[in-house]
Amino acid sequence: MNARLSVSGVSYLYDGHSVLEGVSFSADGGEFIVLMGVNGAGKSTLLDIVAGLRAPAAGEVKLNNRKLSSYSAKERSRLISHLPQGTRTDLPFTVQQVVLMGRYPHADSWFESDEDHAHAQDAMQRMDCLPFRDRLYATLSGGEQQRVLLAACIAQCPSVMLFDEPSTFLDVHQQLQCFSTLAELAREGALCIAVTHDLNLALAYSSRLLILNQGKLAEDFASEKAAGNSEWLSLLSPRLRMAQTGEGKPWVHYL
Amino acid sequence: MGSLPIRPRPANWIWASAIAFALAAFFLPWLGSGSISLERVLAKTPPDYPIFVQLRVSRTLLGLLAGGALSLTGCLFQAMLRDSLATPYTLGVSAGAALGAVLTLALDLNSLLGLPAVWVGSMAGAAVVLVTVAGSSAKQGKLSGVRLLLSGIALNSICTAFILLISSVVKERRSFSITQWLLGSVDAVSYRALLVFAVLLAAVSSIVMTQGRGWNLLAMGEAWAGSRGADLRRLTIAGYCCGSVITAAAIALTGPIGFVGLIVPHLVRSRISTDNRILMPCALLLGGVLLASCDTIGRLVLAPAELPAGAVMALIGGPYLVWLVRKRF
Repeated sequence: MNARLSVSGVSYLYDGHSVLEGVSFSADGGEFIVLMGVNGAGKSTLLDIVAGLRAPAAGEVKLNNRKLSSYSAKERSRLISHLPQGTRTDLPFTVQQVVLMGRYPHADSWFESDEDHAHAQDAMQRMDCLPFRDRLYATLSGGEQQRVLLAACIAQCPSVMLFDEPSTFLDVHQQLQCFSTLAELAREGALCIAVTHDLNLALAYSSRLLILNQGKLAEDFASEKAAGNSEWLSLLSPRLRMAQTGEGKPWVHYL
Repeated sequence: MGSLPIRPRPANWIWASAIAFALAAFFLPWLGSGSISLERVLAKTPPDYPIFVQLRVSRTLLGLLAGGALSLTGCLFQAMLRDSLATPYTLGVSAGAALGAVLTLALDLNSLLGLPAVWVGSMAGAAVVLVTVAGSSAKQGKLSGVRLLLSGIALNSICTAFILLISSVVKERRSFSITQWLLGSVDAVSYRALLVFAVLLAAVSSIVMTQGRGWNLLAMGEAWAGSRGADLRRLTIAGYCCGSVITAAAIALTGPIGFVGLIVPHLVRSRISTDNRILMPCALLLGGVLLASCDTIGRLVLAPAELPAGAVMALIGGPYLVWLVRKRF
């Protein structure tokens, strides 16, 4: 089923000051949206609200024409997965145990079913985690850990996938692998929304860009039109210029 | 689709722990400074029969239950606070319970509301500390682990200060019984108290253990747990209340016995599983076995003098934990 997400007039206050103000957009399954903005622009907060982890101070989020707040935690998590930043643990969980955590909203029984194990297996295969599935999560490199968490999100089988800086700690090759996987998930019908600071990764893989500026949605356009509009770059830094690659694709270079 | 991964049989570990628990309950009461004859116990002749039933059996059962309660709470708090050094005492609940108990000892109260005064005092002290710590750590309806830890440590120091204050102003005889209590020991208690404790522990641990997957998620972070579909608010409240209740009940009967809540979860994690669905039942059962065994060792090594179970636990468990840390981390 293709998801339909609509965010209307969402505002959020933190300790009395406004973090988000009247943010509205809607999106459908199949889109790969990249959400950008300077530090403190409200990106993570917006992602948390869409994930149902924070309640907005005003406005509402609807998923498939139903208010997000009316879903139970488990119902919601069967439809939306969210990869938070900085997930770490001291306790010795294995890779497979972490990936199986993605099946939490699907399994009612004490232990996971064969179906749950099959989904976890597929997700580990896709993120190339099978070779180290019995190793301890805490002993993996940052890049491997991030792949394991992505595999858990995939095993959750949601129709909306939210990623808060999924490519942090990854080397260049793994960043490319990560973003091409997200683009692939979107092509398979999921709605993917990722926060990143890497402009060229965003331009190369996403289908749409949202730019937050001081808590407001400043820009919302299809990635292929990025070259025609360089206003948005100045919201991120004055030292960015739009250029083109040899194949005529948009490319950002630094001054 | 590839072949399914080979799954271990976690239930086997739980059965093995249950057998160890049953064996401990059966055999440990026979060991002690004086030998007990089976025939005399069966014939109900003194002195063997009353020693066996009123002292050894009740003491073994108390060790099994208290060790289990403290180990289970250790697993729970370590997962909830994402801190492998958390113990049942981290939130200051034990200091609150101890302060409550010490107050009743200082005032020479014997019973309150028809129950042993030390019990009532401990439970009330623990409850006051839990509410204070939770209340001072809640912000926008959420409890944060760091704030809980810090206010727990603060409350712990405050309660300890009051205990010192009380024991320095009371008469020498009472001060001695307070010190005695604070050492922590597994002593014979009435079967009525054991029954209340057992029922409480059974009820609370079944609530805790059915949420094993939830504790696994929390151990990876609140944001992680929330976006996998865990009901954070319910889990947090249930976890801290359940852990505090059984900790306070255990402390009320034994005094503060340290270490079991730290070492048993780590041993079971490194030898059996980190998965709380397996870890928690195994830690509950094996924690009981360990504390009851330490108590038995304590009454054997220096017989007829006795070493407190907490001291035996620290002497055996401490070096083992150091060795484990060197090897594993």
